[in-house]
Amino acid sequence: MADENVIEIANLSKSYDGVDAVAGLNLTVPRGAICGLLGRNGAGKTTTIKVLLGMVRPTSGSARVFGLAADDPRASVEIRRRASFVSDDKDLYDALTVDEIIRFTAAFYPRWNDDLADEYLERFALPEGRPAKKLSRGMRTKLALLLALSSGTELLILDEPTAGLDPAVTDEVLKALVAHAARGDVTVFMSSHQLADIEQIADRVAIIDRGRAVLNGELDEIRASYRRVRVVFDGDAPDVALRSAGVIRSQRNGRVLTVLSSAGADGIRAEVAPLEPVSVDELPVTLKDIFLETVVGEG
Amino acid sequence: MLWLKTWLDTRWRFLIGFALLLLSACGIAVSYVQVEQLIPAVRAMNVPDGPLTERIEEAMAIQSTFNGFVWSQWFASNLTTLATFFAAILGSGSPLSGSSRGVTFALALPVSRRRWLATRASLGLLQLLALVLVPSLVVVLISPLIGQSFALGAAVVHSISVFIGSALFFAIAFLLSTVFTGVLRPLLITCAIAIVVGMLEALLVVPGVFSTMAAESYFREGTVPWVGWLVTVVVTAGLLYAAARNVEAQDF
Repeated sequence: MADENVIEIANLSKSYDGVDAVAGLNLTVPRGAICGLLGRNGAGKTTTIKVLLGMVRPTSGSARVFGLAADDPRASVEIRRRASFVSDDKDLYDALTVDEIIRFTAAFYPRWNDDLADEYLERFALPEGRPAKKLSRGMRTKLALLLALSSGTELLILDEPTAGLDPAVTDEVLKALVAHAARGDVTVFMSSHQLADIEQIADRVAIIDRGRAVLNGELDEIRASYRRVRVVFDGDAPDVALRSAGVIRSQRNGRVLTVLSSAGADGIRAEVAPLEPVSVDELPVTLKDIFLETVVGEG
Repeated sequence: MLWLKTWLDTRWRFLIGFALLLLSACGIAVSYVQVEQLIPAVRAMNVPDGPLTERIEEAMAIQSTFNGFVWSQWFASNLTTLATFFAAILGSGSPLSGSSRGVTFALALPVSRRRWLATRASLGLLQLLALVLVPSLVVVLISPLIGQSFALGAAVVHSISVFIGSALFFAIAFLLSTVFTGVLRPLLITCAIAIVVGMLEALLVVPGVFSTMAAESYFREGTVPWVGWLVTVVVTAGLLYAAARNVEAQDF
């Protein structure tokens, strides 16, 4: 059960008027994970999320949530009963007050937790009687998050939850998310541009670019396996095509050859040893480095 | 909760329509006192023979009785026009219209698109029925105040006729709202369709939705327009089904 995948996406494609928003995406999210979905604007993050929630029908391939086909209308209702969603625009019923929206939403979820809703209402200092249209962006985000967290669902799907928020509110939102995930058997699938947010809370990360996954795995493993290797030579760095496993990119700059590897540094060390470098250093790689190299670097 | 949300979305359209139709119904019933006094004077006028005179005389003949007056001025005229207009208003603006706020929120709830639309359509049709029926019953109730009476059964049959006909325009607006975003375009197109259909029926003198709404056969002969009702209901149901299919196939 622990290894069960809550989200399984296989060869998923979605095109709009001939333009591919998602192109052969493969992705899995195991139960209990906090998975960050990273990608540039237009990479296909929101489309992927909308497919999972049944808002968008795939052109081909499959997306399953809790083992249910997301494109089946009946299964989709069951998926949404077990998964809550915070949209990127924090879309709510503007005419309803905070209190009314909470009562309205509670009616749809069989495992709605009133105590939790009251707790978040107090913690987020949300004004109960204020209409949603008069809430600030930060307040809207907090209300959307309150609804998602109190719904008692097994899966939280969040699309850019911290976009446009100040650092204090962002921190509050992320802490609430982590605390909630730690309470029980909850899986979090969260898209973001904010690499620092993902790095702060996620234990898995998926990077998509042009509609396909370029990286998907546990963050710690990725951090452990990705290495930037700096090789310094006496003279100009030789123009060699490195064949070691995991070499993503290599760059020559004067005496220095810099290599990014997704399979550690041992293979590269062995391969450059015959070239008699002056030094070979391993440098830590941040998620931002990996993102930039795998996504921006590809462009 | 879906019903509450749908009511909150549409309540002002309904309440404004309800108030207008009530005022109109009361105004028509009460105005019969003046019309009754005018009829002898109009009849005494010396006008040349001709098609126009024939039509005026026919109208005078109908309106010389309270039943005829209420049928021609309320059921076949004011109620038909206002019900058509408010049917278009109530049918416009889908709860899942792409441009409206709250659509993503609605779609993320564990509710099928078909259920959203069914709730909206059901409440809209109930509101339309209330708009048509209640003011008509008010006419029945206030008639004794001016020394007249209008049969309850006749009021119900005429109201059902108007309701069935106006439900067709509700369904047209409802379907258009699944194609166009916002409220204005479905409303204007539905009104344009109603005007064109009304003109065609009048010019070509063919049976259609407006003749079904008028239910002249029931007024003159006591014959309920079953065929007109049936055809209109079938077309209305088809349009609502098309709206549901259309929304189910959409990406949001």
